[in-house]
Amino acid sequence: MAALALLPAAGEAIYFRDKISWRSAIAPSEMVTVEQARGWDDTAIWVDARPDDEFASDHVPGAISLNEDRWNELLPQFLAVWAPGKKIIVYCSSLSCNASREVAHRLRKEAQLSDVFVLEGGWEAWLKKNR
Amino acid sequence: MKTAGKPSTINYQLSTNRQFVWRIVDFIVAGIFIYAGALKAIDPVQFASDIDNYKILPWPVSVALAFYLPWLEILCALGLVFRFLYRGALSILTASIVVFTLATIAAKVRGLDITCGCFGHASQHWSFPAHLITNLAILAGLLLLSFKAISGNRPQNAL
Repeated sequence: MAALALLPAAGEAIYFRDKISWRSAIAPSEMVTVEQARGWDDTAIWVDARPDDEFASDHVPGAISLNEDRWNELLPQFLAVWAPGKKIIVYCSSLSCNASREVAHRLRKEAQLSDVFVLEGGWEAWLKKNR
Repeated sequence: MKTAGKPSTINYQLSTNRQFVWRIVDFIVAGIFIYAGALKAIDPVQFASDIDNYKILPWPVSVALAFYLPWLEILCALGLVFRFLYRGALSILTASIVVFTLATIAAKVRGLDITCGCFGHASQHWSFPAHLITNLAILAGLLLLSFKAISGNRPQNAL
């Protein structure tokens, strides 16, 4: 029976291959690479989901800090900058961090914003490509 | 001369009634697992996220389980309905509910605010006691069926 369950599971894994990533908890359609993000240029807002001290030490030029520790305080500041039609790119430290995923999820659910993307590889990936 | 029901006839009637009651328990437990499994099989992405929220397993394992566990639940539940590989199905379902219950308790102890994902979105806003009571009730049903399956095979308990 345990072996039999593998068959529909495998079928479902193939069916949902575009909706879920095996590498990361973020769906491929909700992720953006550094190269893609560069192409968006002025149509995107960068959101730094890392803790305050990490944001203070360095961040993507023009990025706005929005972390879960001070969500209620920082969200209005972010919304003041956001404009309809702008894409939102959220990043945290690296590929393994969850903060960007959580912030992106809350922006979609609580702030009802669309076009929210998570930067693949986070701050580490951005540093590699830009410095 | 009119005779009262023979002892063997009465015993047979009692046995049939008991079997009927046990079959109802089979169907109730199976129905719960088919419902829970179907909800999760429909939305494996959400279920993978729910498993990941426990912060116990790496993401690829959560994804694999999100695809596999719902179907295992459904097939085992069908095993209860059709009495196919009955004891194996009971064992797997009991193990799965025990693991989920322990993981839910562990998450609570660690202060994680989680959705167990047991019943997909339907259980999204359930409180911890509600999760626990539901899991324990299902576990009780499974243990009763397991006890019946074991004792039912003994010759002295044939009735």
